[in-house]
Formats: sequence, C-alpha cells, structure tokens
Amino acid sequence: MSIDAQDHDDAETLDDQDEESKNRVQAWAADWIRNPQKAYTVMGVFLGGVLLTTTLFPLYWLFAVAMAPPGQTNIPLIPTRIDLYAFVDIFQQVPFARFMFNSLFYATTVTVVVILVASLAGYAFGRLDFRGKLPLLFSLLVLSWFPPATLFLPLFRAFNQQVKMLGLFTLPTEIYGTPGAVIAPLSAFTMPLAVFILMTFYAQIPDGLEDAARVEGSSRIGALFRVIMPLSAPGVATAGILTFITVYTEFFFSFLMTGDKASEWAPIVNGVLAFQSRYTVRYDLQAAASLVAIVPVAILVVLAQDKIVSGLTQGALKE
Amino acid sequence: MAVEEAQSANRGGIVSRLATWTENLSEQTYALLLLAPGFLILLLFAFWPLASSFRMSFFKDVVVGPESLGGFVGFENYVKLLTDSNPFATLTFLDPAMETGIFQQALILTLLFAIISVAGETILGFAYAMLMKAEYRGQRFVRVLIIIPWAIPIVIQGMIFFLLFRPGYGLLTGPLHQLGIFPQLPLGDAFSGFVIVTVADVWKTSAFMALLILAGMESVNQDLYDVADVMGASTWQRFRYITFPLVFPALMVAMLFRTMGALRVYGIIESTGVGCSTVPSMTCLVTQFTFGSTTLYGSAAAVSVLIAITVGVFISIYLLFIRYSNQSLGLA
Repeated sequence: MSIDAQDHDDAETLDDQDEESKNRVQAWAADWIRNPQKAYTVMGVFLGGVLLTTTLFPLYWLFAVAMAPPGQTNIPLIPTRIDLYAFVDIFQQVPFARFMFNSLFYATTVTVVVILVASLAGYAFGRLDFRGKLPLLFSLLVLSWFPPATLFLPLFRAFNQQVKMLGLFTLPTEIYGTPGAVIAPLSAFTMPLAVFILMTFYAQIPDGLEDAARVEGSSRIGALFRVIMPLSAPGVATAGILTFITVYTEFFFSFLMTGDKASEWAPIVNGVLAFQSRYTVRYDLQAAASLVAIVPVAILVVLAQDKIVSGLTQGALKE
Repeated sequence: MAVEEAQSANRGGIVSRLATWTENLSEQTYALLLLAPGFLILLLFAFWPLASSFRMSFFKDVVVGPESLGGFVGFENYVKLLTDSNPFATLTFLDPAMETGIFQQALILTLLFAIISVAGETILGFAYAMLMKAEYRGQRFVRVLIIIPWAIPIVIQGMIFFLLFRPGYGLLTGPLHQLGIFPQLPLGDAFSGFVIVTVADVWKTSAFMALLILAGMESVNQDLYDVADVMGASTWQRFRYITFPLVFPALMVAMLFRTMGALRVYGIIESTGVGCSTVPSMTCLVTQFTFGSTTLYGSAAAVSVLIAITVGVFISIYLLFIRYSNQSLGLA
C-alpha cells in the first residue's frame, strides 16, 4: 500500500508543472489506489525488465566484443560495425569445432551411461525390497556431499602416475588424455542425483502396469525399459538434461584431466583459451567462440524448458 | 542392457537365456544385480578415490624426490593446516603480513563467498521464479532467457566477466575506477576480485535457484489461491501466507544445493582471470598443492577432507533448520 501512496506524492509534486500531465498522473494514482492489482502489475513489469536486462547484458557484451576489430582496446557499448567474420575465423584459427565436439561427446556419453546405469539402480531402489537398501541409498547421499576436489587427487594419480587403483591394479598411463579420464569420474559424480530423481519417478508407477506387461510375456528387464521408463519420461528427461548440462558446463575435471590440444580430447575450456598465444590475445575471437559454444545448450533449453520445470515439479522435490 | 535387447533378434540364444536366468532370481539377488553396474562405477571412481584421499591426508608431504608421499604422520597435516601457515605455500589474501594460516584465510573467504552468493541468489532466484510463474504473453520466451545463464559453461561465464573487467579497458573497469570503488586492475585485487567472482556466480546460478523455486511454486495447490481470493486476501497476504510457507521446503532444498556448490567454488575463480592466488578458495588450495611448484599431496588431501567436513556441517545445519522450522511453522 505504501507504494501507492508514494505514487500519489509524486503526482502532487508534478502538479505545478503541467496541467495536462497532472490530470493524467492523478488519474493513474487514483486508479492504482482503487485497484492495487494494477500497481503491482506495473511494478512487476518494471522489475522484470530490470532483471532481464541484468541477465542478458553480459551476453550482449560478448556480442559487442566479438564485433570489435582485433586489437581494439576501448570497445564501444554499441558496435560500430556488424562484421560476422570472427564467427568464421574461430574455426580457422584453432580447431574450435573439434573442441566443441569433444565437450558434446563428453556430455552425451556421460548422460547415456548415467541414465542407463542409474535407471537400473533407480528401479531397484524405487520398486524392489531388498536387504541393505537403506545403507546403499545413504552411501549415495553421502557421496553427493563431497566436492570434486576430494575425488580428484587419487584419480589423477591413478590415471597419470600409475598408482594402483583399489590397491589392486594399475591403469595404463595412456588413460590420461583419452575421453575415459573425463567420462569415468564425471559419470560417478553425476550419478547420485540421477539415481534419486529416477528412483522417485519409478516408484510412482502403479504395480499393475508392470504386472500387466509381465503377463503379456515381457521379461523382467524388458518391463523396465518398455513400461517403467517410457511412463517416467519427464523424470528421465529431467535427469538426462541435468546431467548433460552439468557435464557440458563443468570446469574442474574437464580442465584438469585433459591435455590442452583438441586432438587430445580437450574440451571447450581449452578451446576458448587457445586464442591466447604467448604474444597476442584475440579477445574478439574468444568472445565469438564463447557465443558459439553457448548455442547447443541454448537450443537444449529452448526445446526442453517445459520438461525441466515439470520434471522437477513432479518428482525431484518430493523426496 | 538396452543394447542387448536390441540385438536379441540376431543373437537370440544368449540373450533369451540371460533373460530366463534373471526371471528365476530372488528379489534380493535381482536387486543387487541391477545395482551392480552403478556401484561398480561408483566404487572405482568415487568411493575408492574418497577413501584414498582420506588415507593420503595422513601421510607426509614430500617436496623433493621421486616418491610423492612420505611416511605416516597421523594428524600432522591437519594440525599444520589449522594452526600455522604452511612454509611452502603463502597467501596474502586477508593478511599481507602472512601471519594468518593459509587454510584459515581460505576457509573465511569460502564461507564469506558462500553466504553472500547464496543470499543474493535466493533473493534474485525468488524474483526470477515469480517472473517465470506469472502468466503473460511471451512467458515461455522469458523463461528461456532466464534459464540460459545456468546452462552456460563455467569457462564462458568467466570469459564474460573477464571481458567486462579486463585490466585497463574492460567496459566496467574505467567507470568503477573513477568512482573509487575498484582499483585500476580489478582482477588482481583481493577485494574487487572477490566481488567480481561473487557477482559472476550470482549471475549464473540464480537461474538454477529460480528453477527449483518455480518447481516448488508449481506444486502449490491452485485452489488455495482461489480460496484466498474469495476471502479477499491482498497480493502480499497471498505471498506471505500461501506462496512462501508452501515453497519454503523447495527453497531450503535449493539453498542447500547452492551452498554445497558455493563451498567448493573453483572454476569461476580461475576462468575470470582473478586466479587462485588473488582469491584463494578452499578448492583452490587443493589444486595449488597438487599442481603448484611444490607438490604437497598429503596437505592437498587433508584440505579436501576438510572441505567435505565443512560441507557436512552446513548440510547438518540446514537439515536441523528444516526440521525445526517444520515444527514451529506447522506448515499450512
């Protein structure tokens, strides 16, 4: 209510300046006092505009930098020219397409592995009764508390310095610099959340539907993939998208577990940094490359936003 | 397993025999069989590294020589980290005299970062969630715009803020310097570096917070609002007595997730160009001890265990708070 009163004050200070505007402002103020809903709407639109500007401005700035000619120091807020050559140049200067492919490959592989494996585990946790269920579930929960840094050092030594895994066997040193060095730890790291999401969804499917499929002659595992998973599509989509985005945006393992050449399976992190040579830094190219690297996830968000929201609403938060 | 299913047409024998075999298992065995692949991955790439890190934290740092770990020293690494400054790694974040222990500095910095950024993200996240919930033309488009920062790779998030605060000629460097808020090289200064990292984090992760809060809002029974309208509740009352208490559990989950993320902050510090030597978070210490000019594997492992303990303490606080507030609010 106080806001309406303020608007009214404003209206009064404007009084002397302009008869016409006074009437209009007074009319607004009176209207808003009678109908506060309208005032809230106006405030909401204003606040929303401010919020969206703060969200989008950093992205716009990338565009402004990408438009600037190489080496320009004071980049204007509004580009003086529209020159899209930087977007072509990034693919010629460094194999940026390959860097992007590597990142997308990591994200896709981890997502497929995690959804498959977490589906089996989620089915067991959500629909079966067995001894040791609670301790195993609790171990997953505890695992999700640990930072990647805790997992990193032993894995780095196992992948790179031939320290024995589990004290039993050594991995070949070539593991470091192959996709496996990133995919394996990230699969382990993203799995607990996927298991929790899938578990809650799978548990909600009525037993009758599964029994019906079994009577029809479906095998035990067939029922999971033909009945339970399709019926839990929003949950599977949510878990998949969360995993994909986590891996695609991830910095820690993808930066530290790979070399820095595209041919050594380095991800986008190294791709963006590749425009810095010892003597020159092409900020325009870094900005252009950053914008290009956002495109795949932006498409994903556009296509899947409803699934993300509905998936989180229906299952993930009901634990 | 899906692949096996798909191939069953041409390799029918083995697969159908495998399927028949699983049919006859008891529920107990079948459950453990289903859990096996997942827990095998977790055992190799999560549980074993955790245990190994824990064990390494009790062994001596070896700075020179072919072996990277020395003999068993008990809690010495922890004691060294918690009491005095480590002679091999010095930081001047809060204390230019280098008298405060390196871990204390990193702990204080990380806690400050977590509290400030999560507070900012909660407020912004709630505002974004309202914006995503409200119904108007173009709402789907606005939702996409709000979610996108969350899906942006951390290195690009860092690149954006680096370009905004680039020494000398970033867009915001000059104006903020003239106002006397930031020094001329804001990325190299502890205070302004901290502010930049915090702002960058809030910019990206408010969207995630908003998604979880929105999910909480969507699951509120709409009938409650209809009842409130009939009873003549104001917008503020609707928010105070319906939206807030019912979204509160989702809000707590969202804050818990974000606090866990903020306590292990690392990527954004490196990728903005602020760097671990300017704003040393706890995770920074782990990487510095691992990749620095002197390798301190024992101390690095000890720091990572201390991070896990810190996260555990925060989780317990949240869980206690959720339980307490559920009792006292007597939700709806």
